[in-house]
Amino acid sequence: MKKLNELTIIEAIEGLKKKEFSSVDLTKACLERIKESDNKVKAFVTICEEEALKSAKEADELIEKEGAIIFETKPLLGIPYACKDNYSTKGIKTTASSNVLKDYVPPFESTVTNKLKDAGAILLGKTNMDAFAHGSSTENSDFFKTKNPWDLNRVPGGSSGGSAVAVSCDMCLFATGSETAGSIRGPASWCGITGLKPTYGRVSRYGVVAMASSTDSPGSLTKTVEDSAYVLRIIAGKDPLDATSSPKEVKDYLSESKTFSLKGLKIGRPKSYFEIELEDGVKQKVEEAIQKLKNLGAEIIDMDLINPKYSIGVYTILQRSEVSSNLARLDGIRYGDDRTNFGFEAKKRIMLGTYALSSGYYDAYYEKAQKVRTLIIDDFNKALENVDIIVAPSMPCIALKLGESEKSSMFGELMDVLAEPSSVAGLPGISIPCGLSDDMPVGLQFIGNHFEEDKIIGISKVFQEETDFHKSKPKI
Amino acid sequence: MADNIISKEEVKKIAELSNLDISGQEVKLSKILSDTLLHIENLNELDTSNIPVTYQVTGLTNVFQDSEGKSQTLTKEEAMSNAKENKDGLFGTKAVFDR
Repeated sequence: MKKLNELTIIEAIEGLKKKEFSSVDLTKACLERIKESDNKVKAFVTICEEEALKSAKEADELIEKEGAIIFETKPLLGIPYACKDNYSTKGIKTTASSNVLKDYVPPFESTVTNKLKDAGAILLGKTNMDAFAHGSSTENSDFFKTKNPWDLNRVPGGSSGGSAVAVSCDMCLFATGSETAGSIRGPASWCGITGLKPTYGRVSRYGVVAMASSTDSPGSLTKTVEDSAYVLRIIAGKDPLDATSSPKEVKDYLSESKTFSLKGLKIGRPKSYFEIELEDGVKQKVEEAIQKLKNLGAEIIDMDLINPKYSIGVYTILQRSEVSSNLARLDGIRYGDDRTNFGFEAKKRIMLGTYALSSGYYDAYYEKAQKVRTLIIDDFNKALENVDIIVAPSMPCIALKLGESEKSSMFGELMDVLAEPSSVAGLPGISIPCGLSDDMPVGLQFIGNHFEEDKIIGISKVFQEETDFHKSKPKI
Repeated sequence: MADNIISKEEVKKIAELSNLDISGQEVKLSKILSDTLLHIENLNELDTSNIPVTYQVTGLTNVFQDSEGKSQTLTKEEAMSNAKENKDGLFGTKAVFDR
């Protein structure tokens, strides 16, 4: 039988409704798991044990008083989760794993954590990340490196590395992440879990420490796609505090996924995504998964898409420009420490962005990148007229050894090549496990049209029903 | 070897504009920043002469705050709670003028 901390959200809610266990039991099981394994993987920056147990007790009292019907208004009541440390949490330190913000205690709450709180979720703690989300390995944290639980000599991916590890190790039932280009899908892929990056504007960015505001997308890291469907419905929606959040109606992703069928579904396989340097093991697992989808009734269509190598350039320019502008606010006067505390990675990004936005260079770099961005969007629009969903690997290789990220000054941008096109276009993407290569997880990626999270969730749900890859766990 | 796209002197200028202290790292940054610009030069392979720019990907335009909506603000104490220097309820900053 599963231990309580190993449950999915859906399973835990059933148990809480039937009073098979309490939220305090669930929370204690997670906290014990954290105590037992976090010294090995180092996923957490802050652990909120006391507050978590207090909230769990309150959740139990509410369930006792109101009965199972309370879950209709508080759909995550008593469910313990971990939160990436770039979500502002009122009264709880929010560092973005940076020395500049190491003592920062926000006086306000992010919209996502506010919604989770309203839904009754229990915050266990804040997770490690690349400082200011600059990176794809979590080695760029100013505090310490998080390790991959499948092999402690490897990185978990990033920037939402701590959150991915916390889910992968069953230290929590789910976690929040955020993605600018690859920061959810990447670590989900390398840690063998489900990571959903929603459409840009589907989930409010309010209160999330900004990286590149034109692509930043808060999302979730979960054990199953059912759980990500369940969480998305809760965190999505128009937010008056984020002008770029969309007023489009939020769907009941979980219910809709139950009737999703692959019969007649057209899945595009972009040739250019398979022509970049892909590790053999990754290619093999992804091709096997595509064959499986075909066997389940989907039509696989080989298609052309602009080579993702161009997205590296577009993303690099946009991201560094927006980083330089967003981090300009950190002056050490109103909050945080002064600018001498920036790590080298942040300095490098701020400086390139400052250069690219300078008079005389703006047209050559920022404007050029924004034009190529239009080309990429038009290309996707055309492609998605002929297919429902696009399939690709999530990452070009399995998790790299610790230290590899230092070998390239553009490590993150190069590693996230398969996430960058959809990120700059604002499209939703999901990574789900599709097997192991060299005993390390491989991620399968689905990309959908704007606000068609229901489709990529639907196909992932069918895949997880037919396979057991998402049930593999690291031995730690 | 060709000169770096961004020289050591330019690096110093950019650092000044960015309000960053990079002393001792000028040469390293000149190389890294130049390498990055070199890497993205492939964007010039794509013809964008009649292509408009995209700033907002989901097509939202003119989003206004509802004036009837709930306003949200911090109290003075909350706003000051993280200030390194709090002088009589005001943020302490570096001096701008010479006395």
